[in-house]
Amino acid sequence: MTDLVKITVDGREIEVPAGELVIKAAQDHGTYIPRFCWHPRMKEVGMCRMCLVEIETPRGTILTTSCTTPASAGMVVHTASETTKKAQAGILEFLLINHPLDCPVCDKGGECPLQDQTMAYGPGESRFVEEKRHFEKPIPISDLVFLDRERCILCARCTRFADEIAGDPLIEFKDRGNHTQVQTFPDLPFSSYFSGNTVQICPVGALTASAYRFKARPWDLRRVESSCSHCTVGCSIAVEASRNDVLRFNGVDNDATNQGWLSDKCRFGFEFIGSENRLRTPLIKVDGEFQETTWADALDLVAERLGSIIEEHGGEAVGGIGGARSTNEDAYAFGKFMRTVVGSNHLDAQLDDGLDARFLAGVSPRAKIGDLDHAAAILLWAPDLKEESGSLYLRVRHAVQEGGAKLVVIHPRRTGLDDRATHKLTYRPGQGFGLLADLAGGEGDYAAVLETLSHGPVVAIVGRTGLTEAPELAEAVAGFALGLPDATVLPFARRSNVFGALDMGVAPSLLPGRVAADDAEAMAQLEAVWGPIPTHEARDTLGILEGLAVGDLKALILLGADPVRDVPDATVARRGIEAAEFVVAIDLFLTDTNQLADVVLPAEAFGEKEGTVTNLEGRVQKVNRIVTGPGQSQADWAILDDISRRLSKPLAFASAEAICKEIADVAPAYAGMTWELLEWDEKEGAVVPYGEAVQPLIHHPAAADRKALEAMSRQPSSGAFALHLARTLYDDGVLMRNSLSLHALAPGAAVHLHPEDAGRLGVTEGALVEVKSVDASIRLPAVLDSSLLTGVVYVPFNQPWTPSLGAALSVVVAAGKEVSA
Amino acid sequence: MSLWPADVQERAKELIGRYPDPKSAVMPLLYLAMRQDGYLTEAGMGEVAGWTGHTPAQVQSVATFYGMFKTEPLGQYLVSVCTSISCMLLGGDDVLEAVEEATGVPHGETDAERLFSVEHVECLGACGGAPAVQVNYELIEGSTPDQARALCRWLQDERPEVVNTDDMQERFGGRRSFDWAIAESENAVGPYPAFGPYGTTPGGEV
Amino acid sequence: MSHAQVLFARMAEHPTDSHTLVMYEATGGYVQARRAMDMTRDEIVELVKTSGLLGRGGAAFSAGLKWSFLAPARPAYLVVNGDESEPGTFKDRQLLERDPHQMIEGIIIASVANEVREAFIYIRGEYPKPARRVQQAIDEAYAAGYLGKGIFGTDYDLDVTVHLGGGAYICGEETALINSLEGKRGEPRLKPPYFPAAKGLYMMPTIVNNVETVSNLPHIFEMGTDDYRALGHATDTGTFLFSVSGHVKEPGNYELPHGITWRELIFDVAGGMREDRGLKAWIPGGASAPWFVPEHHLDLEITKEATGAAGSMLGSGAVVVMDETTCVVKAAERVVRFFSHESCGQCTPCREGTTWLEMILRRIEAGSGRPIDAELLLDVSDNISPGLTWPPKQTTICPLGPSAVSPITSVAKYFADELRQHIVQGGCPLD
Ligand SMILES: Cc1cc2nc3c(=O)[nH]c(=O)nc-3n(C[C@H](O)[C@H](O)[C@H](O)COP(=O)(O)O)c2cc1C
Ligand code: SF4
Ligand code: FES
Repeated sequence: MTDLVKITVDGREIEVPAGELVIKAAQDHGTYIPRFCWHPRMKEVGMCRMCLVEIETPRGTILTTSCTTPASAGMVVHTASETTKKAQAGILEFLLINHPLDCPVCDKGGECPLQDQTMAYGPGESRFVEEKRHFEKPIPISDLVFLDRERCILCARCTRFADEIAGDPLIEFKDRGNHTQVQTFPDLPFSSYFSGNTVQICPVGALTASAYRFKARPWDLRRVESSCSHCTVGCSIAVEASRNDVLRFNGVDNDATNQGWLSDKCRFGFEFIGSENRLRTPLIKVDGEFQETTWADALDLVAERLGSIIEEHGGEAVGGIGGARSTNEDAYAFGKFMRTVVGSNHLDAQLDDGLDARFLAGVSPRAKIGDLDHAAAILLWAPDLKEESGSLYLRVRHAVQEGGAKLVVIHPRRTGLDDRATHKLTYRPGQGFGLLADLAGGEGDYAAVLETLSHGPVVAIVGRTGLTEAPELAEAVAGFALGLPDATVLPFARRSNVFGALDMGVAPSLLPGRVAADDAEAMAQLEAVWGPIPTHEARDTLGILEGLAVGDLKALILLGADPVRDVPDATVARRGIEAAEFVVAIDLFLTDTNQLADVVLPAEAFGEKEGTVTNLEGRVQKVNRIVTGPGQSQADWAILDDISRRLSKPLAFASAEAICKEIADVAPAYAGMTWELLEWDEKEGAVVPYGEAVQPLIHHPAAADRKALEAMSRQPSSGAFALHLARTLYDDGVLMRNSLSLHALAPGAAVHLHPEDAGRLGVTEGALVEVKSVDASIRLPAVLDSSLLTGVVYVPFNQPWTPSLGAALSVVVAAGKEVSA
Repeated sequence: MSLWPADVQERAKELIGRYPDPKSAVMPLLYLAMRQDGYLTEAGMGEVAGWTGHTPAQVQSVATFYGMFKTEPLGQYLVSVCTSISCMLLGGDDVLEAVEEATGVPHGETDAERLFSVEHVECLGACGGAPAVQVNYELIEGSTPDQARALCRWLQDERPEVVNTDDMQERFGGRRSFDWAIAESENAVGPYPAFGPYGTTPGGEV
Repeated sequence: MSHAQVLFARMAEHPTDSHTLVMYEATGGYVQARRAMDMTRDEIVELVKTSGLLGRGGAAFSAGLKWSFLAPARPAYLVVNGDESEPGTFKDRQLLERDPHQMIEGIIIASVANEVREAFIYIRGEYPKPARRVQQAIDEAYAAGYLGKGIFGTDYDLDVTVHLGGGAYICGEETALINSLEGKRGEPRLKPPYFPAAKGLYMMPTIVNNVETVSNLPHIFEMGTDDYRALGHATDTGTFLFSVSGHVKEPGNYELPHGITWRELIFDVAGGMREDRGLKAWIPGGASAPWFVPEHHLDLEITKEATGAAGSMLGSGAVVVMDETTCVVKAAERVVRFFSHESCGQCTPCREGTTWLEMILRRIEAGSGRPIDAELLLDVSDNISPGLTWPPKQTTICPLGPSAVSPITSVAKYFADELRQHIVQGGCPLD
């Protein structure tokens, strides 16, 4: 704990932590000192000089910047003395002499710190009669951001963000003195995944977002706070809308999660909400074509078809996939619907691309994101966080840069955090088990790595580095990590509310509240509320799809899931769905999967409904409504409730909030988790306690058991390459496809290979390469990538116009024959 | 992969080796890059970025902060005329005018032939020998408009490959800030300072 | 006028080879550095403190005291400031060119005193010839075993590297210089917390000293502190290098004790006014110093204290003399232009304010002055340097911004009429 000291601000004595910057200390006690360059999440630079105050020191009264002065005992600060006021007005006059004052046509007008502070602290009128500075305006500095250098006040917030926070120093000051300007290098745009943050923190309208330019005036916007749904961190955001259109997301500073930052995918990935392609009415397939219909007709059809299949084959002939994109309330409704209304345990929120549900829900002790800040070492054996979870990436970067944590990155190729890693280990997919054994053994080169990890507290972020990675590896890694001093594990999976869905029991092996499905006592307690729950062996997503393909299962219910796109083996997904007798999909869009369905029902999206979500550390947060869904769309739970009524087993949910109360009643870990709590008392979200309710659910070979580990290693057959298949931030997912600003940013189809391999195969950068798996043969342009080991190829997953490679773990690669025009 | 020939790469490595952190070598390497291309090209800045571990944007940021890293093509002779206070008091403005007239190049510009670049500069540390002129940073003190004109004519006619401060001072200079005492043999070859360790002097060093 | 020559002695006596190692050794060179090797850090720091040596880079801060502030973390670095770019100043150039070994010996002493194993000499980019001379001297010193591995046969390693600037006056400011040496833009750092002696180069303890400061060290060792102190004035010990320029008959660098008068300096030492014109004003200590005028200041003693009390400073020792034909508006414009051109641009008041001042002055000079401009000049100045006091207060990070205010307050104070005439007549009354 830092000591508290007494300081006096404008005659009022306050108690503040020693060393706290005066600007912050004063603000926390209700005195706002104007500022432009200072940002609470970045290092102080004291450049704009707006925050000048008078401070009495033993050597007299000095005029100095409050953003660079730490509070010390007895300090006397004057924020509104004549000298202070004159100085502040002087600074504003200086800032305005070269400012174009084009507020009426500026996006920032109405929410502009420069405008506001000029009203509050500025001079009445400018005395500047000379020629203003001129620059070409505005210029695009990336696909998403425009820069108007005439409006810029050179506070360096954007350049510092790019360097200090994002680690992408691609915008910098150029020239000197009065000619200083923010600039990129020619032909090297500010293509940072985090570029949009600069728009948010720019204190004037110098940086504007292409997705928002001229769309609205701030005073026309309505705003709610919510929790972002793009990955499992659940960043706090402000959603803003005008009329019934969502127009903007901004980061909200939640100390526990994103600390104000957002990746561009999260910031600009709202466009899908208002997309023209959203489903508006229920669709039923007639003669192979979808036809619009009424809810009544569509639901009647669903009830009739499902009812007859259940009657004929039993509930276990029906599978349910999805729920990870929904709220906890929706997911809970889905689980209860499947288990009690349909009578099936075949249900899974994951799409064969994650880790064992019991591992994700049960590994403990579980780390909190904030623990990174105090970690002595961080073990990152997980996907490239820069690609899969922008804000977690920033938190790790920050923990290493500012907190001094040592970072160990283990991955099959380059990752965004390599530049911050003390140790980086690269391996061939399939051979992680051997590497783990080596690391645990600490022999040779691994001794130093083990030494780094032997100083606690250690936080291990553990997930599958790619889609071809054996899920058991992560469990083994977690097992190893938990043996390190003072260790906690943050299990990583990325799909939006997947942790919430698992907590709601949308998994073959789990019941609501992180209870194992084979826990008889828990089962009995749940049945007391739910009524009977089937006991048959449960299938996961792959099992459901395979079951459908061979006719063991007959019907499929999809809740916001697109297996044809998201299951790594698209062929299996397609085969299963095509073979199903009946498929009903609840979704926002027509997708590659639900094109094949019999009935598609329009659902409400993020921003159109209320509920709760749970992030990867178990933090539950509220999501809120700001617009109404398009057309006749409805909330998932309401649709499921309607179907249940028609199947004569009414779930009888009254509202999402009522569902939340039911969750709190039946899921032990969620006891006491109410909307009021999250809206009033726990605005940063409340972390679900990991108590006895959770059983140790990991079953993996011990890291010391070299034999067992080596037995799990895979070696590609001779001549084949091990395949690393991993996601990129921007891809061809359905939400991306319907967010116009982002879809074009997907890196595109490619096969990366080591230059040596390329040389051997006679392949040059950009040449077409044949990549053959058991199921498919596709042609991809080559990228030479020396971060890979030889014998490994990397293919970015789910890129526009890339066919699937099927369930391949290894592929055969050959120089492609030239395609004639 | 470096665009520079092997000997220049060697020099780059040597320069980096002079500092505890490769990033510190950015300025010497920028001079080296100017020596390669005659001015600081984008490719040159990219190259320096590669050597020092900066991004190209950072290298550009550093380079453009300083007046001597020129990102526009330059003439063979960069003629800099000091017009700061001490030189101004003794006719620096007239010398500048004479240079502009003799070369036909206004300050801040370069002729089409890329023979002359002309600039007026702030204090050159030659105030005791005002007004001061530099050709490729080699100093001439106590110049007059007539001498400045003669200097430009000489450069134009003779096109000396190298320029030497003592030689030019002898021909076109006047009063010095102090006794220079001994003549120096090192010469400059382009619009960047001639400094052996940086490989920016003539001869086989780079 | 005769005066004790110390730093300039060797070059005066041996004009053609004062820069060579042979001559340096022949005149007692490197003996003092060798002596320092056998002394402790505390002994050397104490000795330098006692000598009264004040920094010659402009701030006139006690060198010994600065050394005593060096934080304990290691490695520590020494950076010799040879960025000399303030208009009027050209003394370091002479030291670098004509007696580089004197400085190198000083570097060895300062390094040993501060447990430094790696020193840098930052020389402004427009000084290739001084840099070459220094480099030659360094090469000689390495070859002689005075620098490099195990200097003087001890186990002490010392490397010295010459770093050329890139044309930016602000890099003379020590924290900007450190940023520049780290390969960054030469922007001054915040003080506090980045006092070089605590967190300097690569965030390690760093001593920054001026070329002249360091060049004094061998003499302090050789003469002993008593004799060294006796060279100068009671409070300003040793000699001082004045760079005299402008409208005098004999401009140049002069090594003098403190305590003579401005009249003696301008009229005796520097030969008096060119063409015997009248003296109008002079800048006593570099472009950032407020001006002096004959009516008030000619018989003032040249000491740090007396100059300060009269509202100016000796700074880096640059004296710029202006005769009666000088247009003060134009002179002020030139000085302000310098600071505007050299502003690093991070502080709003410096970046915008100095440029604005320059624009107003240029407009007045061009004949488009407005009656309110005189007042406006002062009020804009006040927003850069509140109260227009001396020593200046500042709304900026470093003193560069407030430096631009000096010529304006000087003109307002002593030449208000001339300024008014410029505005009223729409041009220079002297033309
Ligand atoms: C704007 C500015 C420019 C400066 N320029 C120089 C310079 O060119 N040379 C120098 O030695 N000191 C210069 N200084 C002073 C240095 O910051 C520093 O005080 C000095 O190098 C310390 O050396 P000393 O203690 O030996 O004087 C400058 C200071 C400021 C604020
Ligand atoms: S006062 Fe001027 S030169 Fe000094 S830090 Fe501020 S902007 Fe830079
Ligand atoms: S907010 Fe303090 S200087 Fe900018």
